[in-house]
Amino acid sequence: MNGKKRILTALNPGQADQVPLYIHGINEAPIIGIGQQITQGLPQVTDFRKMKDTEKFKVLDTLFLIHETFDVDGFTAFEIGHESPVDDQHVKDEFGVVYALSDFGLPVAKGHPVKEVSDLEKYEPPNPDPGHLVLLNLARDRFKGDKALFWLMRGSFVRCWRLMGMENMMIKMFDDPQFVHDVAAMVLEYNLAQLDLLVGEGLDVLVIEDDIADKNFPLIAPDQFLEFVNPYNRQIVEAAHAKGLKVVRHSDGNLWPLMDILLDTGYDGLNPLEPQAGMALDRVKDYCGDQLCLLGNIDCVDLLPNGTPQQVDATVKKAIQDAGQGGGLIICSSNSLHPGVAPDNCIAMFEATRKYGRYPTP
Amino acid sequence: MIFSQISARLQNGDPKEMAHLIGQAFDQGATPEQVLNQGLIAGMDRVGQKFQTGEIYIPHMLLAARAMHGALDILKPLLAETGNGPAGRVVLGTVQGDHHDIGKNLVSTMLEGKGFEVIDVGIDAPPQTFVKAVDEGVQIVAMSALLSTTAPFIGDTIEALDKAGLRKTLKIMVGGGAVSQEFSDEIGADAYGGDAATAAVLAMDLVGKGA
Repeated sequence: MNGKKRILTALNPGQADQVPLYIHGINEAPIIGIGQQITQGLPQVTDFRKMKDTEKFKVLDTLFLIHETFDVDGFTAFEIGHESPVDDQHVKDEFGVVYALSDFGLPVAKGHPVKEVSDLEKYEPPNPDPGHLVLLNLARDRFKGDKALFWLMRGSFVRCWRLMGMENMMIKMFDDPQFVHDVAAMVLEYNLAQLDLLVGEGLDVLVIEDDIADKNFPLIAPDQFLEFVNPYNRQIVEAAHAKGLKVVRHSDGNLWPLMDILLDTGYDGLNPLEPQAGMALDRVKDYCGDQLCLLGNIDCVDLLPNGTPQQVDATVKKAIQDAGQGGGLIICSSNSLHPGVAPDNCIAMFEATRKYGRYPTP
Repeated sequence: MIFSQISARLQNGDPKEMAHLIGQAFDQGATPEQVLNQGLIAGMDRVGQKFQTGEIYIPHMLLAARAMHGALDILKPLLAETGNGPAGRVVLGTVQGDHHDIGKNLVSTMLEGKGFEVIDVGIDAPPQTFVKAVDEGVQIVAMSALLSTTAPFIGDTIEALDKAGLRKTLKIMVGGGAVSQEFSDEIGADAYGGDAATAAVLAMDLVGKGA
C-alpha cells in the first residue's frame, strides 16, 4: 500500500496496512534543521520570502526529501506567490490583508481592508490564481501519485476576520449581521473557485484551515458559529465531496462545544487535536472515532520543543494504542512544526510511527 | 435596584441605555464610586464569571467592554474630582516577537472592569519597553505570549526588570496560549492567568484587594 492509499483509507475512516504519517505544516527552521541530517548545502534559517530563488528551491527540495526519507504518507501544499512586500516587516496578500512578519512564527494579520460596509462596496475581491498552486504542481510531479496531496484552504472564519479585523467582526455579528454574511459569501465564492482549480491539479485531500478556538473555548458562541461560519464551510465540504475529495477540518483549540456541529458537517478528518486544549486522543476516539479520522495530537507545544526523542517515541506509541484500533488515525504533530521544535524529536516522531504503526498495532 | 440594572445592561452590552441609567443613578443620589463599584465592576465580575464557565464567549465580552468604556467616559471625570484612585496600576503587553493582541486586550478590559488603570505597551514589546513603562505606582507587570517561540521573552523581561532594580517592588503576572502554570513557576512569575477573567481576579489578589 503506498502513502496515498494509506491516507485515503484512514480518512474513510478505515484501517490501512499501517498508521499513516503526515506533516500538517512546517516552517523554514525545522525544514532546515531536519534537512541538515539528510542533505547538504542548506541556507541559514530565515523567512522563506527573504531567501534567494536558489535557496527557495533548495528548501522546497529538502521538504520533498524529508517526506521521501521518512516515508511521510501525505504532502501538504499551500499558496505561494500570493503575497507582495509592503516593507521589510510587512507583506500583503491577494485580498489586501497586511501581515506583520515575525522571526518567531507565522505572519499575523494586522491590516484589514474590509472593516465597514463602505469598504465592502468599494472592494474588488481577487480571483484565485493558478500560479499560486505551484507547490501542489511540484509535489504532484515529484511524488507521482505515491503520496496523498493535501491543500490548506483558509476557511470562512479566518478569511473573514482577516478582512474585517477579528474584534470588529465579532462586534459586527451583533451590530450588522448582514455585513458579516456578505463578506462570508464573498469569501465562499473565492474558495469554491479555488477548489475548482485544485481539483484540476490532482488534489486528494482538502484541509479547511479555520482556527475557531483557543485552548479554553471556541472564540465565538456555538450559535454564532452556526449562523456565521459553518454554513459557508459546509458548502465547501459538500462541493469538495461532490468532486471526489476527502475533507479535513483543521482548528486549534478546544473544539468540544462545537464537536456535534463539526460531525454533522460531514468532515472526513479532524486536525490537529491539541492535548493542551482538552482534545485527548482517547476521548475523541471514543466520541467520534467511528465517524471521522483523527490527525494530530503529538504535542508540539512542550514535547517536540523540550522533550527527548525517547519521550516522543513513547508518546507516539501511546497515541497509536489510544486511537489506532480499527484505523482512522493519522499521526502528526498537534499543530505546525514551528521554529521551536527540535529536529531530533521530529525525526523520532516519524520513526516511531513506523516502529509502532503496523497493524495489528501494539 | 438601579445598580443591578446598570450591571445587567453592561452584561448585555447596551451602551445607550447605560448612559441613561447612570444619569438616573445620579438623580437618585448615587455617587460615581457607587456606580463604578456596585454597577460596572459588579457587572464585569459577572461577565468574567460567565466567560470562565463558557456561558458567554469573546464577542459578548467585547460588547460588554464597549458598554463599560462608554460608561467610564462619563464616570472618569467625576471620579477624578473626588480624588479616588484606581484599584491599582498595571503595565500590560504581548512580549517581543509576538504580534497577537486579542487575548491581551481582553485582559485589559477585565482589569479595567476591576478598576485598574492599565498601561498597555502593545504587542511585540521588547523587555526594555516594559521596563520603561514601569513608573511610580505600578504594582503589576502582566505579559502575554501566544507562541512557544516567544514565551522565553517573558523570562528575559523579568530579568530586565530585575536588572533595572524593579523586580522586588513588582508582581509579575503571565498568560497566553504558550504559557502554563508550570512555565509560570519555572520563570518565577507571581501568578498565571489561564483566561482574562482569572487574570483580573488574580491581579486583585496581587495588590491585596482580592475577595
